[in-house]
Amino acid sequence: MPDTPEQPIVNQVARLARIHLDEQQLKSSGEKLEQILGFVSQLEQIELPKDVIPFFGAIESVNAIRDDQLQTSVPREKILDNAPESDGEFYLVPPVFKPTDS
Amino acid sequence: MTLSALNADVIVDQLNAGDLTATDCVQHFLDRIQTHNADLNAFISVSDTALEQAETIDKRRKAGESLGCLAGLPVAVKDGICVSGQPTTAGSKMLENFSAPYDATIVERLKSAGAIVIGKTNMDEFAMGSSTENSYFGSTTNPWATDRVPGGSSGGSAACVAGRLAPVAIGSDTGGSIRQPASFCGITGLKPTYGRVSRYGLIAFASSLDQIGPMTRTAKESALLMSVIAGFDPRDSTSSKEHVSDALTSLETPLKGIRIGVCRDHLHEGLHWEVKTKINDAISVFKQLGANIEEIELPHSNSAVAAYYIIAPCEASSNLARYDGVRYSFRAQANDLEEMYRNTRGQGFGDEVKQRIILGTYALSSGYYEAYYLKASKVRRLIKQDYDEAFQKVDLILGPTTPTPAFKLGQHTQDPLAMYLADIFTVSANLAGIPAMSVPVEPSSTGLPIGLQLQGRAFEENTLLRAAHQFQNETHWHMTSPAEPWRTQS
Repeated sequence: MPDTPEQPIVNQVARLARIHLDEQQLKSSGEKLEQILGFVSQLEQIELPKDVIPFFGAIESVNAIRDDQLQTSVPREKILDNAPESDGEFYLVPPVFKPTDS
Repeated sequence: MTLSALNADVIVDQLNAGDLTATDCVQHFLDRIQTHNADLNAFISVSDTALEQAETIDKRRKAGESLGCLAGLPVAVKDGICVSGQPTTAGSKMLENFSAPYDATIVERLKSAGAIVIGKTNMDEFAMGSSTENSYFGSTTNPWATDRVPGGSSGGSAACVAGRLAPVAIGSDTGGSIRQPASFCGITGLKPTYGRVSRYGLIAFASSLDQIGPMTRTAKESALLMSVIAGFDPRDSTSSKEHVSDALTSLETPLKGIRIGVCRDHLHEGLHWEVKTKINDAISVFKQLGANIEEIELPHSNSAVAAYYIIAPCEASSNLARYDGVRYSFRAQANDLEEMYRNTRGQGFGDEVKQRIILGTYALSSGYYEAYYLKASKVRRLIKQDYDEAFQKVDLILGPTTPTPAFKLGQHTQDPLAMYLADIFTVSANLAGIPAMSVPVEPSSTGLPIGLQLQGRAFEENTLLRAAHQFQNETHWHMTSPAEPWRTQS
């Protein structure tokens, strides 16, 4: 099956985003990405006034600063209740490094 | 009149007067959920403590204790909002077994006011969608025509209010997710100003756009809920300290002389002809109420969907990085950490969520950031400036909420762009951070609801609610309910 133009890019981006996609999903995702990028390319046609400042947040407020105060937090056990695997104190994960032959 | 036909403010009055118990009220809506949820799939989960909470409120009332302004009122809450000890899935397999460890601020406030969270409503996965078809837990159907979508992403909240499975509901709106389903289901929905309602405890989709708001039958009910949920919250760093005045007290202030802007470009040829007709009829009602209608221009609004579909996926790709198999209930089998991340995210996310993370990751990656995210953020500035200029001339902007009435289930599932264009009139308010609401107008000739959108200046929700309330004083579309048993509309 021939690649769509965007498929190699999707492969790379999926790797960056840590998402496993099978061959069929890569193809479909590549096609949709191409379609969406084609649509959003209309932004290229907009002539921006010189020095327009990007608007990143709907409220341009100053940073929220407050005094340090000791407050109770959600108990650790309650948070760990949602862990796929824990020893009651810490999250447990598979080996960080791939097992190697020794 | 049956209990499900009553508005929330009337239910509260009856509870306060002792004409109704919270237990009977909650039981009534639990019974309706039991009977109708199989058809509508509006709820993902139903509270198993709601009756117990109702009994406690009844006892406290009987003992003469002072109770909050919503004491005993059942409220449905979108499943992307944390309710302590309750399943909170955001419509995703990733969170299928997640139990919220704390209450969202708005839930805390609702509970303090005595409201009872009766259940969690269905939604597009992580709020990404315009039809609720992207839910891992199956599509919600529209009670007006069960072969049609209820809109999305807060489709469960809209369908449960329209179908009277709950008197009122809470939704969230990132690009139209309160207003578009409100429009499709014939109810009233308000997206408040960004920062007006705390986002603490809302599962993040796009943090600079997300906002929680009421989904109700009437504007008065929305005002009632806003009186409880709006206001500063130190736990949300973008929460506003702007003063909140009680919307309920200004609902009847006459509209005479109010300036309402209409953008003629938004009543263009691509609009469904009946939507155009009914919106023009609604404009006549506002004229009769004393409003001055003026033409305005929003020259960059045509680019809003394109800017939105860069900005929102970019923010989502960052926000959803936390779902890696370590902390939030779902983990796929793997031999090492990297494989765990990839398999968990590959299996735990649905197709649309994966697509948007891919898009956002792509647009933020080295070499593309300026062309996509930065450009879109600059266009966002122009969209905001358009509104700033328009609101020099007018107090409100009026137009359609959606270009068409509810579409059929499956109609747009293979065509992302067609689905994205359902948001064409709603995304701008999120980009600019202004409040906007959808109000039912006369339905189509085939009985499908149509919504009118009102947009206002930042922090002027009360003007929107006042205009919507007085429009509803003159019309009855918001009070009509779909016939039972629910029908299809092929």
